[in-house]
Amino acid sequence: MAAYFIRRFLLVIPTFVGITVLLFTVTRFVPGGPIERIIAQAQQQAMEGGRAPAGSETVQKQPLSDDQIELLKKYYGFDKPVLVSYGLWLGKLLKGDFGTSTRYYDPVWVMISERIPISLYFGILSLIAIYGICIPLGIAKAVRHNSSFDNASSVVVFAGYAIPGWVAGILMLIVFASHWEIFPLGELVSDHFEELNLMQKVLDLAWHTVLPLASYLIGSFALMTLLMKNTLMDHLSADYVRTAMAKGLTFKRAIFGHALRNSLVPIATSFGNNISLILSGSFLIEKVFNIDGMGLLGYESVVDRDYPVVMGVLAISSLLFLIGNILSDMCVAIVDPRVKFE
Amino acid sequence: MKLNTLTIKKLRRFYSIKRGYYAFIFLGLLILLSFAAELVVNSRALIVKYQGKYYFPTYTDMIAGETFGLDYAYETNYRELKANFERKNDGNWVLMPPAPYNAFENDLRSDSAPALPPSWSQRHFLGTDTSGRDVLARLVYGFRIAIFFSFTLIVSTYVVGIGIGCAMGYFGGGFDILFQRLIEIWSNVPIIYVVIIISSIVVPNFWWLIIIMVCFGWMGITWVMRTITYKEKARDYVLAARALGASNVRIIFLHIIPNTISVIVTYVPFSFSSGIVALTALDYLGFGLPPPTPSWGELIQQAWTNFSAWWLGASVITAMVLTLVAVTFIGEAVREAFDPKLHTVYE
Repeated sequence: MAAYFIRRFLLVIPTFVGITVLLFTVTRFVPGGPIERIIAQAQQQAMEGGRAPAGSETVQKQPLSDDQIELLKKYYGFDKPVLVSYGLWLGKLLKGDFGTSTRYYDPVWVMISERIPISLYFGILSLIAIYGICIPLGIAKAVRHNSSFDNASSVVVFAGYAIPGWVAGILMLIVFASHWEIFPLGELVSDHFEELNLMQKVLDLAWHTVLPLASYLIGSFALMTLLMKNTLMDHLSADYVRTAMAKGLTFKRAIFGHALRNSLVPIATSFGNNISLILSGSFLIEKVFNIDGMGLLGYESVVDRDYPVVMGVLAISSLLFLIGNILSDMCVAIVDPRVKFE
Repeated sequence: MKLNTLTIKKLRRFYSIKRGYYAFIFLGLLILLSFAAELVVNSRALIVKYQGKYYFPTYTDMIAGETFGLDYAYETNYRELKANFERKNDGNWVLMPPAPYNAFENDLRSDSAPALPPSWSQRHFLGTDTSGRDVLARLVYGFRIAIFFSFTLIVSTYVVGIGIGCAMGYFGGGFDILFQRLIEIWSNVPIIYVVIIISSIVVPNFWWLIIIMVCFGWMGITWVMRTITYKEKARDYVLAARALGASNVRIIFLHIIPNTISVIVTYVPFSFSSGIVALTALDYLGFGLPPPTPSWGELIQQAWTNFSAWWLGASVITAMVLTLVAVTFIGEAVREAFDPKLHTVYE
């Protein structure tokens, strides 16, 4: 088993390279990169300054000379073949250098590390809430299957599931923020956050957290609860539980001692992946509430064609995802001794 | 056609689960109605009687205004025609659909700027959006597109996913490792990045989006299928089948897949609604179907930027919740009906 997991960890390296090579190559061949943008900007400037003496025909067609474009290509590393510049990028990455944003000219690592605490904050809060609520709720629903409690909570859970988190976010913004004006219209803290004392800061943060956190919860809530309920019901009707009951075990002990442990397997298959959810967050919810997390950073950098940032975000999120998968398999192996990875 | 007795039993059980059964009727009616949407929400008249002749313009080629004695050669404006005929009152008449607007026309008025709130008198039952288009029309036609999109997506994704996932779990070994790597690489290329990048080269249409989403969305069900097959394979009945000399194909298709159906089926409603949600999200971001295709996502985008136009958000979110809740209820009922294990209840 240990050998299996060591092998899995070693396999992370080629997979990681595969992912990054793939996207790196794609970004190189798509129009709209930094050089095109600079040319377009220069063109615009030339158009605006067109009435000035410098505005000759050639300036309007191609504002930059070939030498200048060569220089730009060299600056952005576009003069080398894809694999060579990928190698350079990877080499720098190993030294902890993510490169510089081609849009904001900030170091990519600074941009990313500013966003990490925000995504971490929401990720951990929602993780605690989801597991803390879903597992007990799923158990209660399975045990009281077809009771009025089960039916009533199913309706609530389904309705919550039916609305994707970001749509619920918009709904909540319309109702609570725009119509009733109880909660803020987005962002993580108020504009005058710096002037507040500690207590007010905490309150302000909590006040801004309520709606986005609710949006985060709504999405993952139902899936986990239903998964828990369905698998537990499957196991409750299994022979070994009947045997245990027949031998005189109390219902409680049959559930918690036998059925529950087995029904945690499907939950465990996804547990490790939470590590990437924690950090990357949902860019849709972040966009709706205008929260500057990792998800929004990645999304905006793709839209802006800010490729060093795209690659940086991708490198971090894919690494987390890969490790998360291994953690998931470890969890499965821990909770289900029959599963043998060799 | 004769049904298998087992299937009849399952269908009976489905019928007995009322919440799911009524949701099924409700959604089925909505889908049927949306196929005939041209008869309910349309700017073309249902019937026109003009000088003793009857016209049915709904599904025909466009009828020029000259046909009805108007002074233009482009498509007749039936709402004006109706008003015209009523004014003259000489035996000609027009029967309009209940909501006389289509999803594309901008009903702009000189005395007010869109978006306009719902109004019965103007027959904008859910108001108009920020470019003066009828919200109801866009909802209905957007619904039809979303349903069709999601259905196509599910079929393609499941065929690919179940096939690969089952093979991975069953054969294991090098094949499993290879596809695990592939899935890991694939899942990490964020689908939205790919769509945005591709949309800078081509304008994505319906089939482009399906292809992209199948290419980058088959991993979910594959992974589920792999895990289940992995577990099922270790059980005694598979060993027994193999001892009796069953081939791999037989074991997979006659033993493992039927035993995993109850789990696969529980994922179908989730996939169906996630197809709708994915399309809506892409449209909301502006990277989905090209405008002016009617879409829920585009309406949500308008609602998000115009909080004061509450009818936009109210109508589209209500429509979404109703549809998705119905889909989920059906799914839950299907799961209970098609899961051959009847759950023991302890007193």
